[in-house]
Amino acid sequence: MLGLAKAIQTTVRAALRRPVTVKYPMEKKELSHRTRGFPVLLWDFEKDEPFCTGCQVCARYCPVDCITVTMTDNPKFAEGKSKRKKTVDRFFLDYARCMRCDICVEVCNFSAIVMNNTWDGIELSRFDRQDLVMDKDALLRQSRTGRLGDPFREPMGVAHSGWAPKAEGEEEAGEAAAAAEGGEG
Amino acid sequence: MAIVALLLPVSVILLTWLERKVMGRLQQRLGPMHVGPWGLLQGVADTVKLLTKEDVRPTSADRWTFELAPFVIVVPVVMAVVALPFTADILVRNMALGLFYILAVSGLSIVGFVMAGWGSDNKYALLGGVRAGAQLISYEVPLILTVVGVAMLGQTLNLAQIVEFQDDTPWVVYQPLGFLIFVIAGLAELYRQPFDIPVAESEVVGGATVEYSGIRWSMFQMGEFVSLVLISILASLIFLGGWIWPFNSDLPVWGQALLMGGKTFAFIIFFMWTRGSLPRLRIDQLMALCWQILLPFTLLQIVINGLALVYEWPDWTLTLMSGGAAAVLVVGIYRVARRSGALNQSPAGHRVGSVL
Amino acid sequence: MVRQTAPVERELETIDIDVNVGPQHPATHGVFRMVISVDGEVVTDLDPVIGYMHRGNEKLPENLDYRQTIGFHDRTDYLAQFNTEHCWVETVEKLGGMKPPERAEYIRVILAELNRITSHLMFMGAFGTDVGLFGTSFMYAFRDRELIQEFFEEITGERMMYNYFRPGGVAWDVPEDFTERCSRILDHIRKGIGDIEGLLLHNEVVLARTRGLSPVTPEQGINWGLSGPLLRATGLPHDLRRAEPYSIYDRFDFDIPTGTHGDVYDRLVVRLEEMKQSVRIIEQALKQMPEGPIMAEGMKRILRVPAGEVYGRVESPRGEYGVYLVSNGSEKPYRHKVRAASFCNLSALREMCVGHYVSDVIIILGSIDIVLGEVDR
Repeated sequence: MLGLAKAIQTTVRAALRRPVTVKYPMEKKELSHRTRGFPVLLWDFEKDEPFCTGCQVCARYCPVDCITVTMTDNPKFAEGKSKRKKTVDRFFLDYARCMRCDICVEVCNFSAIVMNNTWDGIELSRFDRQDLVMDKDALLRQSRTGRLGDPFREPMGVAHSGWAPKAEGEEEAGEAAAAAEGGEG
Repeated sequence: MAIVALLLPVSVILLTWLERKVMGRLQQRLGPMHVGPWGLLQGVADTVKLLTKEDVRPTSADRWTFELAPFVIVVPVVMAVVALPFTADILVRNMALGLFYILAVSGLSIVGFVMAGWGSDNKYALLGGVRAGAQLISYEVPLILTVVGVAMLGQTLNLAQIVEFQDDTPWVVYQPLGFLIFVIAGLAELYRQPFDIPVAESEVVGGATVEYSGIRWSMFQMGEFVSLVLISILASLIFLGGWIWPFNSDLPVWGQALLMGGKTFAFIIFFMWTRGSLPRLRIDQLMALCWQILLPFTLLQIVINGLALVYEWPDWTLTLMSGGAAAVLVVGIYRVARRSGALNQSPAGHRVGSVL
Repeated sequence: MVRQTAPVERELETIDIDVNVGPQHPATHGVFRMVISVDGEVVTDLDPVIGYMHRGNEKLPENLDYRQTIGFHDRTDYLAQFNTEHCWVETVEKLGGMKPPERAEYIRVILAELNRITSHLMFMGAFGTDVGLFGTSFMYAFRDRELIQEFFEEITGERMMYNYFRPGGVAWDVPEDFTERCSRILDHIRKGIGDIEGLLLHNEVVLARTRGLSPVTPEQGINWGLSGPLLRATGLPHDLRRAEPYSIYDRFDFDIPTGTHGDVYDRLVVRLEEMKQSVRIIEQALKQMPEGPIMAEGMKRILRVPAGEVYGRVESPRGEYGVYLVSNGSEKPYRHKVRAASFCNLSALREMCVGHYVSDVIIILGSIDIVLGEVDR
């Protein structure tokens, strides 16, 4: 009977400890800085436009093909207000297919897409599967309204394949590289 | 009578809440917390949900067997509870043959299990029902024989009188072996861990009750919890001294009810605790435990009682002999379980496992 | 006309019934189907049916490059993800001729061993449920698993599908408080292992149910293709981390727990002891971990691996997990075949189960510790 007594002793000791339940959704535990929610686009508050230029690198490297991007001429470039020649026209990201691998964040030349590390990037229940296909405005909303906070981007990109994040003035060089890649892949 | 009819469902609902809380606590988590303060109304919510569920019946099920089985389980147990005195005054009907009546009637619910197993037209249900029949019938024998031992001590089958005989010492002191066997056999009668093979969730997914849904399934649960109350109250009455020990019979009614309630509650908590802590035995090990270990010790207890009564030995000899036998039983189960590689038969033979 | 009377002694004819332990079942650890022929309570035949979770895990990476495939390996064995990722990146590095820096190797080993602990904890939890504990062992196991998963979330960002190892190193560096956090978690893990040990291993009922159940000899183990804790429980001290050291496992000092009979109880004990040995390895690795880069030098932006073929394998918590990679020089694998441990272990289920009771089949299946993602890929 000793083993049975030991089993009961273990459960009695466990009963005397504090329960580990977190009473979600009334209490929510704190997410870490690197938590990977679903991807969102970043808004450039200085130039008042998205960082994204529609270069389609993320769409090409996505393992599950959940991104659809098109590019268009940037009207602000013509007016001389911005250095980005192109900007994103339409951007669809299907959250239902996304596997949150964050390869799109790693390959983005313009640091325009990040994983949402807030609870908004995780609590995404919808009644209809079509509502999970996020368009450009839905993806930008998180950043534009300031709810994004501090996304995890620091050593991103340094690690893989020797690529380093580009400085501000090299955006055009990045675009040229992206266009060259467009003919390759 | 009306009180029983009202109190039983309410206590069943509260017991489901209590079970979930106790299991949650010993798993280091909270139980239900949302519905009502501390989740007290969870049982009510569950009942409402079950009442509104669709009543599914397999088309190839044997109609009358299938539909009557829950009733055959619940009705005898409720009939047995009717004969239980809760205190000296709170009772429905205290019979002179109370003990006999209770055990006889509660044995009828075994038929309901087998009916459920056969009538569901489902192999899992059949397996579960057959196992339940075998287990419940086998464990009735030690249960009844320990109660016979108690009846021998008191020379009566009247429950109120048995309680009154215990006003200075509860009979657990005189009959430790009987108490131990009663608890083990009671666990098996309630088909709870470690004897819940008929309703093993991870194997036969509910056993005989697998095809039932809605209110019919909740009748199975009600049968289980009313049996739990039955066994707990019975154990408190015949072994722990009921509403009299450790005080005398001059307690006011509410004191008696509180005392009795406390003892019953202790038993219920014990049963729920073992449910969460012990894994289940296989059916052949279970049967071997009953017929090869428990039964000889039960007969030994009766022999001890008989000797003490015929030769009019003082009561402490009873304690000594019975306690010694109880110790032998505990050690015996321990050693057998430790050595129990032999319980699993080789692929060649199909023998039922033997412990001896 | 003479009416033939039946002979007096005639044996009762019985038929074996087929019980379908269907794809939806609380105990089959995934969508796995068995058709068991049962004579009373004794199993006479067992027919496993797999394929309910087939997702094309071997074909799809033929259209993806080497970094995109890492996520697929996470999802193959979804309880030991770092071990599968480790296998994949090691295989690519073997063929590509890259060598990851020291710090990356240490990070990989620490995370892989932590993942081994989580996988074995999950096994203990699920096994307790199979044996009949009403979820208690499950809750204890998950309480400790939660600690480790939160730790992984602080490093990689995900609780389960990490996608963190890369060919040539790891994706990004660990946070500064890595060593202290890890040591504190190890303290909790030791207590948790003690809890599970008290609940399961010395329990008489567990002993009565698992000791002597489906014993396997070492010869049978090799013939059936078993690997991992199943093979070690039979008595063979075969562990890939010792027999064919990959990564930096030859620098650590750890024992290989073995059983004696190969029965279910021995498998339980072997996995528990392996958890303790993993804790030992992590302690040593934490002390030895150097500073430095986490990615090999000279990695190109688009990784191309020279043509050729290679088979790389690791010791995952379930056994030998291997990847056979054929490359034709482009940035996508030409043929990507996964040798899954659970698949090969599961093929021995019939031999292990015939002659035992129905209740035992569930326990034996639980003790093989399968992951359907691996079995079906």
